[in-house]
Amino acid sequence: MLLAKDIHHCIGKRQIVDQISLEVQPGEILAILGPNGAGKSTLFKLLSGEVVCKRGMVSYNQFEVGDLKASELAKIRAVLPQHSQVNFPFTVREVVTLGLHQVKVSRHQAILEEVMEMTQIGKFADKLYHQLSGGEQQRVQLSRVLVQIWENQPYPRYLLLDEPTSSLDIAQQHAVLRIIKKLTTRNIGVVIILHELNLAAQYADKIALLKNGILKKWGTVPEIMDEQLLEMVFDHPVLLIPYPACAAGCFVASAGNISSANQSINQV
Amino acid sequence: MIQSIPTYSNVNTIRLSALFGLLFFVCIASLCLGAYAIPLGNTLSILFNSIGISSANFELSQSNVLLQIRLPRILLNLLIGGGLGIAGAALQGMFRNPLVEPGLIGVSSGSALFAIIFIVFISGGRTSAFLTSLGLPLFAFVGGLLHVGAVFKLSNSQGDSDTATLILAGIAINAFAGALIGLVLFFADDSALRSFTFWSLGDMSGATWAKIPYALALIGIPSIFILQKTRELNALALGEQEAYHMGVPVRQVKILILILSALIVGAGVSMVGIIGFVGLVVPHLVRLLFSADHRIVLPGSFLFGAILLNAADLIARLIVIPAEMPIGVITALCGAPFFIWLIFNFKKTRS
Repeated sequence: MLLAKDIHHCIGKRQIVDQISLEVQPGEILAILGPNGAGKSTLFKLLSGEVVCKRGMVSYNQFEVGDLKASELAKIRAVLPQHSQVNFPFTVREVVTLGLHQVKVSRHQAILEEVMEMTQIGKFADKLYHQLSGGEQQRVQLSRVLVQIWENQPYPRYLLLDEPTSSLDIAQQHAVLRIIKKLTTRNIGVVIILHELNLAAQYADKIALLKNGILKKWGTVPEIMDEQLLEMVFDHPVLLIPYPACAAGCFVASAGNISSANQSINQV
Repeated sequence: MIQSIPTYSNVNTIRLSALFGLLFFVCIASLCLGAYAIPLGNTLSILFNSIGISSANFELSQSNVLLQIRLPRILLNLLIGGGLGIAGAALQGMFRNPLVEPGLIGVSSGSALFAIIFIVFISGGRTSAFLTSLGLPLFAFVGGLLHVGAVFKLSNSQGDSDTATLILAGIAINAFAGALIGLVLFFADDSALRSFTFWSLGDMSGATWAKIPYALALIGIPSIFILQKTRELNALALGEQEAYHMGVPVRQVKILILILSALIVGAGVSMVGIIGFVGLVVPHLVRLLFSADHRIVLPGSFLFGAILLNAADLIARLIVIPAEMPIGVITALCGAPFFIWLIFNFKKTRS
């Protein structure tokens, strides 16, 4: 279990994250949602161990983050930051292999094959990373972090993703999230920052709503999908349109001028 | 398709063996050729003789030239060229910036400043052979390390070493050292100016057996330590954040690479003066020819640097017989056009 207890962080005198407690079970996807500047990225860095919290604690499988060495932590959790640059002419296969830093060499080939099969990047494995499109690059980066925690272990592993779909078209967004959804069967817990409410509603098991560094609400998807709550968090009116065909059971809509949208719905 | 890929280690062994062969060839050529040419047969029999297989197919003067002058020089070229190559590769990898060269962290300018201070104020006038042969390298070495220390300290102000600040601090310190060098040069006489100019272009003629143990300790051993860090440098190529997430103790690795590179380059510069271009270009050559994977880039850069410096030294010795061209002129003069050619020709395949 990934557990955050009363974590608190400030930069200078500004509170960025205040008294947040969360937990992620293996096999579960937790989406972190909130407006820009809500403290999502700082919370993310506190969870990944990159930033040490001033108060409170973060633990993975009962081990506190601060007590684990970088190499030990890397075996329990993998992290995909928002933008990863590759400055040298690495091929796709080389980039993915980098993620195997902590894994026995004898297992490399098998893991590479399985992960590249799953993320469908085998066909351009020997191309240069720079030559790929944005969506392909993102799948390569996803593969790189997946190989790190791919192998089944006696303990649960965790994957932390910071807006993995931000620069992708809709087909690619769903492709990436379907891959992430499949991971939960491998005893992996997922924390994912998303901006798109509908993606969160369809793929996440739980959602944490953040605003001004405070956890406004944390719960299952139906608990979070509430017009008033979302409007309060995002300072913008939203509409929940019932849509039983999708996993969340409803579709979140927002418009520049929501009152006119309301009218048109009423007319229908 | 995935199965058909040959394993990395096999391909790399072939590549490195090829570089080894080329290095051997250049070294043999370097032993034979020069102001006093020695036929290949004689060269080989001198070498065999020196390792105990007796063979008398040579003259004593040939043996003296080869064993006392050329062989230590070639070994020194090999260590210094290789050291510059591997240090350049490690620093480029660590900074994730292909434009970084060892001079950027302040080693060369620090060494140059202390060297000119030594030449102008200490050894000038009353030239003692002992003082010049030992004092100059010692001064230059200390100066180089002091500068790296200053650069690192500057970039480390908030308890965290930021790579961009490190580069900026290096540039600032280099500019400052440049100004101080100009100031010292103002007080220099003609002979001091001339000896500084030649030192700053690289001067291999002072190579003796006495320098080899120092070179082995200060260049060879740190190079071996850098070679252990291939996986960490590969991870760092993606970014410091990413490397940390993959389990690399980033700060430790950065400090280690910096210290080792400073030792290597400081020792090299102090023994033979400033040799530009090798540390910048060699890692690129290896990346263009083979791959950006540090498992090949690091050892490949050492071998390529050794080849390049030996070849350049050979040309420097041959081109104006019986005098010698400063080696820095050759490395830049041959290296730059070759590098440009390579960039254009390999663009199609690797980028």
